[in-house]
Amino acid sequence: MPAIFPRWTNNIPLAVAVLGPFALAGLVGFVWYYFSPKYTDVGYRPIQPVPFSHKLHAGDMGMDCRYCHNTVERAAVAAVPPAATCMNCHSLVKTDSPRLKLVRDSFETGETIPWVRVHQLPDFAFFDHRPHLAAGVGCSTCHGRIDQMTIVEMAQPLSMGWCLDCHRDPEPNLRPVDQITNMAWDPATDGKAYDAAKDPKRKRDVNPPEHCSGCHR
Amino acid sequence: MARTIHIQAIALGCALVGAAGCQGNRSELPPVHLIQNMDFQQRFDAQEVNEFFQAVDCANAHNPHQCEGRAARLPVAGTVAVGQLHDDEELYRGRGPDGRLLDRLPAAIKLSTELMARGEERYNIYCQPCHDYTGGGQGVATLRGGGFSVAPKNLNDPQIRAMPLGHFFDVITNGKGTMMPYAAQIPAQDRWAIAVWVRTLQVARTPEEAK
Repeated sequence: MPAIFPRWTNNIPLAVAVLGPFALAGLVGFVWYYFSPKYTDVGYRPIQPVPFSHKLHAGDMGMDCRYCHNTVERAAVAAVPPAATCMNCHSLVKTDSPRLKLVRDSFETGETIPWVRVHQLPDFAFFDHRPHLAAGVGCSTCHGRIDQMTIVEMAQPLSMGWCLDCHRDPEPNLRPVDQITNMAWDPATDGKAYDAAKDPKRKRDVNPPEHCSGCHR
Repeated sequence: MARTIHIQAIALGCALVGAAGCQGNRSELPPVHLIQNMDFQQRFDAQEVNEFFQAVDCANAHNPHQCEGRAARLPVAGTVAVGQLHDDEELYRGRGPDGRLLDRLPAAIKLSTELMARGEERYNIYCQPCHDYTGGGQGVATLRGGGFSVAPKNLNDPQIRAMPLGHFFDVITNGKGTMMPYAAQIPAQDRWAIAVWVRTLQVARTPEEAK
């Protein structure tokens, strides 16, 4: 009677002992890399119903973010503007552009433009723009160089670990409060030269919460 | 043998590039939430659509454009939220007891350097794109895309300079000519601050002999 297991099976324990750790490390590495929001979320750039270019409006023309996202200092959300805001200028310029048809229709009929949301936190995280602006965290810190984006994309993972990195050490991401919408602010040079603790315009210290209910309620 | 090594090297190269190059790759597809963790719950963010209200709206709508189903509901017609009656004629309409436009700040607002600084900042956000930083009416928006069919007013015109302070508040609030109203975009206090800054620009650009 021949042996049940052929001779080569004697190598299996050795192969498992040698390759097993690599396979395990590979699996851990795979999950760490491919399951991370840096991989799954950063770079998300949906096609919008109106091809609005932030590069043109905020970049080349230098319009302030708050011209359109005017609620950002007063409300938790930086609202997507109504068509009326677009029509402030576009009733006078590019009035027959086919790309703006949806905006004109929306202005006339009141129908919503189906913009696609780019930055979306999980529903259990309650983010409020106001304290971040009041503390001097700039738009570009979280949203990236919007003024260089023809199509807006996610520049940062907006994950909990990423939030906490800054909540634990906010100092490198702070700037004078009158510079929050300055897209060209460079944390590597301007940020190094700025010390929030010595800014006389600041009324109080920046003290971001690190406890759970700071963001989850 | 050499060929196998080549193939192995290419495979390894592909794996490395695949692993290192994909992070932050651009995609039009929504992010994949591998572990859902209650990321999407039965609650609504501002400006989100709500299917329940969509059905309600469409049933009541007199025209098809009104079936939007906004999760954030508009106030019931004829109601006023607490603190939003806006019955201060001076502050919210810029008019005195005689119904004429004020040529001073309303009683609720005090002139201060902070108010002027606020006015400058707000002017540079909301007015500068058309009226430019000096009020000259040659803002960046008027210089692109073929220009405006009707040019914005030069705020330093003697005619406009002669207008009462409340006029500027009124124009920002209600619009004038081809300029659209900005009441929804700028709170009343900020509109007054901008009016003050417009006046400041005008005074700064008035020739000495005309003062």
